[in-house]
Amino acid sequence: MASTSQFLASLARLSISSAPRPAASSIPRFLAPSVTTQIRCASGGTAQMQARQREKEKLKRKRRQQRFKEYKYAVPTGKGEQFSLCDAMRYLRAAEVGRPPSSVTYEVALKVRTIKNGPVIRNRIRFPYPVKNDTRIGVICAEGSNAMHDARTGGAVAFGEQSMFDLIKANANNLPFNRLICHTDSVSALNKAGLGRVLGPKGLMPSLKTNTITKSVKTMMHEMVGAETYREKIGVIRIPIGNIQFSPKQLSENVKTFIDSIKADIARMEDRVDKDIIEVVLTSTNGPGFTLNGGFLPTDEKVDPAHLATAM
Amino acid sequence: MVNPGKRMNILKALLNLRHGPGAAILPPEISRLHMDFALRWNDGHMGPRKFWKTCLPRLKFWNPAVPMIINRSSNNAGPATLSIYFRQAAAAAAALPHPPARRPNRIRARPTSAPAPPPEEGERVVTIEMKHQHSDAILQEFLQKTGATVLQPSPDELNEMRQTEDLKDRAAIDRSIMKKYIDDKRAEERLLARAREEAEAIRLANQ
Repeated sequence: MASTSQFLASLARLSISSAPRPAASSIPRFLAPSVTTQIRCASGGTAQMQARQREKEKLKRKRRQQRFKEYKYAVPTGKGEQFSLCDAMRYLRAAEVGRPPSSVTYEVALKVRTIKNGPVIRNRIRFPYPVKNDTRIGVICAEGSNAMHDARTGGAVAFGEQSMFDLIKANANNLPFNRLICHTDSVSALNKAGLGRVLGPKGLMPSLKTNTITKSVKTMMHEMVGAETYREKIGVIRIPIGNIQFSPKQLSENVKTFIDSIKADIARMEDRVDKDIIEVVLTSTNGPGFTLNGGFLPTDEKVDPAHLATAM
Repeated sequence: MVNPGKRMNILKALLNLRHGPGAAILPPEISRLHMDFALRWNDGHMGPRKFWKTCLPRLKFWNPAVPMIINRSSNNAGPATLSIYFRQAAAAAAALPHPPARRPNRIRARPTSAPAPPPEEGERVVTIEMKHQHSDAILQEFLQKTGATVLQPSPDELNEMRQTEDLKDRAAIDRSIMKKYIDDKRAEERLLARAREEAEAIRLANQ
């Protein structure tokens, strides 16, 4: 009984209705229990109408969440500005002037209309004009097999089975190769070796998903040299597409190859999901991004495409 | 990916890349430019650096065919020179309407960052000493020595520039409004937290 009265007393001190309040307490009005009960202001309408409204909102939110964000300016009929390839190149070359040419590349970002939880586009591409040529391949294959012979003649920097595992374990931070492929017969040996911890973070672990386990080492190596891998992330595919010293012709061929390859990828997964290319943006290492309109020639007739092919 | 609306606003600022100090068309007898200065700005290397950052992109935009090569060294005591290579009159007359395009391979074969190469036959070099000079002064000297024609923005472009400026002002106002809103919100939250603490303390004291 005593405790209740105590509690009541404390309540009385807190409530604003008690007139002789001690001046020291600085509790704002909204914290103290108010005397009058608050009436929640509804937006109006009957309960049914409100329920319908709520249902609508829910649906809207759900619909919005299914796809990655799209912008109305980006679609071809939008009012966003688009550029021909030569125009974009002219701006980008101007933005990159004086940078060391070896460290500057043209890049492409491709926006894809897609649902959030669907399969992603992921593949490898060989450009007609490779961006860089520093591919060093390591091959895991049984010692003394045909595959090993292929690897040796194909120019792999390291090959073998147990010797490779030892090599990887010994100098994990300074591997001689930057691509690793594995022959189908050696997969079990690879899995037993427990190298996932070393190779996984480097993105080198051979797997079917990354298309690096093969029966024919020869063809795989051939298509890997000078190839770039790409994958869709949050609805966008980004890839370096050319050296800053490329001519417009070279760059346009690379872009065409890239887009054709993406379209082929989409066609291959068509039965499962439908994807759609929304916009293609050309940018460079330090430059702004230009939405391409598919055209080639510059709008300024004084500029010849050949002018964009000179050294920086 | 960056919102295209935002990207378009950034691209509007591309006007900056077309017009401003350095927007000039070089005469056709200029075959290439070469700049030689230090990586860091001490000892009078700030001017050349600013010239590269502010003026050179515009020059490159208006003269896409002229190679502009930059060589930066770590030696701040060294010189900062801008070399302008002129084709001699006879060579210029012999050259095609698009002179540099006819020998891109030869240019590309040359290393793109090295000390200024000696002039080829039928070329002469004019140098500008850039050390301890303001970038504006360098540009002035450059325009005078090359005889380039300075470009003025058209009325449309002026209009667009003004719009970009307005956008910038508007952005500053919006930003201040937003900042005030966020600050107020945070202040209120702080006040609430303190009040809650005090209420808790009183409750504990009364138990």
